[in-house]
Amino acid sequence: MSAPLLETRNLTKAFGQKTGWLAKPKILCASSSIDLQLNARERLGIVGESGSGKSTLGRLILGLTPPTEGEIFFEGVNHKARSLQGWKQFRVRTSLVQQNPLSALNPQMTIGEQISEGLLVHHFASRAASYERAAAMLDQVGLSSAMMSRYPHQMSGGQRQRVVIARALILDPKLVVFDEAVSALDVSVQAQVVALLRDLWQQRDLAYVFITHDLRVVRHVVDRIAVMYLGRVVETGDIKSVYEWPRHPYTRALLASVPSMDPTIRNIQPPINGELDPGKIAGGCPFRPRCPFAIERCGTEAPLLRDVAGQRVACHRAEEFPRSVQMGKEVA
Amino acid sequence: MPRLLTVQDLVVEVPGRNIKILNGVSFSLDAGQTLGLVGESGCGKSMTCYAIGNMLPRGLGQAGGSISFGSGESGSERPTIAMIFQDPTSSLNPVHTIGYYLETALYRHQRLRGNDARLEAMRLLERVGIDNAKSRLGAYPHQFSGGMNQRVMIAHALAAKPQLLIADEPTTALDVTMQAQILYLLEELKAETGMALMIVSHDLGVIARLADKAAVMYCGKIVETAPVEQIIQNPSHPYARALINCMPSIDPADHQPPVPIPGSVPLLDDLPQGCYYNPRCPRAAGECFKRFPPLAPVAQAHNVACYHPVAA
Repeated sequence: MSAPLLETRNLTKAFGQKTGWLAKPKILCASSSIDLQLNARERLGIVGESGSGKSTLGRLILGLTPPTEGEIFFEGVNHKARSLQGWKQFRVRTSLVQQNPLSALNPQMTIGEQISEGLLVHHFASRAASYERAAAMLDQVGLSSAMMSRYPHQMSGGQRQRVVIARALILDPKLVVFDEAVSALDVSVQAQVVALLRDLWQQRDLAYVFITHDLRVVRHVVDRIAVMYLGRVVETGDIKSVYEWPRHPYTRALLASVPSMDPTIRNIQPPINGELDPGKIAGGCPFRPRCPFAIERCGTEAPLLRDVAGQRVACHRAEEFPRSVQMGKEVA
Repeated sequence: MPRLLTVQDLVVEVPGRNIKILNGVSFSLDAGQTLGLVGESGCGKSMTCYAIGNMLPRGLGQAGGSISFGSGESGSERPTIAMIFQDPTSSLNPVHTIGYYLETALYRHQRLRGNDARLEAMRLLERVGIDNAKSRLGAYPHQFSGGMNQRVMIAHALAAKPQLLIADEPTTALDVTMQAQILYLLEELKAETGMALMIVSHDLGVIARLADKAAVMYCGKIVETAPVEQIIQNPSHPYARALINCMPSIDPADHQPPVPIPGSVPLLDDLPQGCYYNPRCPRAAGECFKRFPPLAPVAQAHNVACYHPVAA
C-alpha cells in the first residue's frame, strides 16, 4: 500500500483556560494523542458532542492552528517541515467547508468572482479562463451559470452552501474538510447537499473529513467514523460495523439518543445524563463520570484504543455489550 | 378532553404588500394534547406560535381569521400560555441572574416574593434537572451551557403554571444527548402538570416522539393534519411523504440514502398559481395548477390539502 494521504501521530492540542487573575491557567486538551490515517478517496466522519474537540482536529489537520505536540503528515510531508512554498501547495490540495455559508462568503463579491478567486490567486488561469471554469464548477454543484453575477444575499441557504462547495473544489483538491457543513440546512436541502457530496465523490479524486454532530447524516456520507470524547478518539471503525455493533458506551449512548421515527417509542429515559465537562477529567477514563457501565478499573486506568472485532475501541468493557442499541435500554 | 384552543382561517400578512405569511391556518388543540408542527424554514411554523402567543413581530398584523380559547363562547378565559425558543442563551437577559429571572416570573404569575419565591425558584430548577440549585440562583446565563439555559427557560415557563406550553424548536441548537434529556423532561412535565404542548420542529423524529397529532405546513398553509402515527407511517400529501423520505435513516439495516426534494421552497411574494407545491410535486396535474386544494378528510381525523393524495 502506498503512504496514506493524511496521517496524524500523537496529535495533541492544549488550551490554557484562565481561572483567575495571576492563577495558573488550567490546561484543557482539545485533542490528545490522536493517531489517524486517511487514504486517498477515503471518507472519514468525526462525531461527538460540542466541546469534544472535533473542530479543533479539523483545524489542526488543515494547519490553521499549530499542534502542542505530535505531527501531521499530508502526502508524506510533515506540516512542521513545510516551507512557505510547501504551505502554498498544501492550500491548493486541501480545502474547508464550514457551517454557515453566509458568513463564509464575501457579501461584496459576486458568486463568479468568489469561485474563480482561487484560480487567480494561484495564477492557474487567466481571468477569462477562470471565469469559464467557475461556471463549469457551478454547473457541477447543480446551480445554473446565470448565478455567476449574483451576490450571496440573493440566494437561498442551500444555494449558498453549494457555492461554498464549488469554491472549495475549484482548485481540484485531494482533501476537503467539512465542518458541520449541512447542520444549518433544512432537511430537504440537507438531503440535496448529501446527494451532491456523494455524487462529487464518485466523479472526483477526493477524500473527505466530515465533522458533524448529526449521527443521521454522517452515516450516508462517510466510509469510516471516529467518535470523539473530550479530545480523545474513543471508537473508530468502518461506518457499517460501528452502526451495527457499537462497542463503546459513548457511541451507544449517542446512537440511542437520536429520536427514532417510530411514534410508539416514548417516555424513555435519556441514555446518558449531564453533558461533557472538561473540568472532570481526573485520571482513568474521561467518560467515566457519565458512563452507566463504569467499574473500579475505569477510575484508575485510562483505556487505550485497542482492536475489538475489527473496530478500535477505548473501553475496558468493550466486549460485553450486545449487538444492537435499544432506545431507552442503554442504562445499566 | 375539553377544547383548549381553536385556530380558524388565521391570516397574517405584511401590511401594504400582498405577502401572506400565514394563509388560512386552521387547527384545534384539546387540553393536555400535544400538537407537532413540521415544515421547512419559512413555512410559518414559528409565526403560528407567535400569533397564538399574541407576540407577532412589530409591523405584522393578524389580517383575518380567529384564535379562540376554551369552548369558544364569549367569556371563556384565555389560558395561560408559556413559550420556549430555539436559542435559549439569546432568550435570557445576560445582565440578570437566573434567580432574578425566575423570581420575577414567580412574582408576576403567582405573587410570590422574598423567601417564598426563592424556595419555589430552587424547586423549579431542581425539577428541570439543575443540581446545586441554591448556588445556581446567583449564576448568570453565560456561566451555563446551552442545555442548562434551555432548562432554565423551561423552569421559567413552569413558573406561569401554563395550560399550554409552546416550544419552538426547543432542541435544535442542542447536542443529541442533551436533546434526549430535554425531550424526556418535556414528557415528564407534561404528564405531571397535564399541560398541552405545541411543539415546532423540522426534525420529524422529535415530532414522532412527542406529538399526539401533527400538522405539516408549507408556505403558510397546513397541507396535512393527522394523528402522528398516520403522518409518519402513512402520509397522504406528497410533500409530507417527501419530507419523511429525506430524513436520513439511522437503522443499520436500511441503506437507502435520503431522497432529496427537488427544487426549493418558493418565495412568499412569488408563489406559483394553484397548489404552492406544484413545481416540486411529481403528482401535479390539471387542477393543481389552477386552485389551491382545500383541506379535505381522507380518513378519521386525517385531513389533506391535495387533489392527488398518495393512497394508503
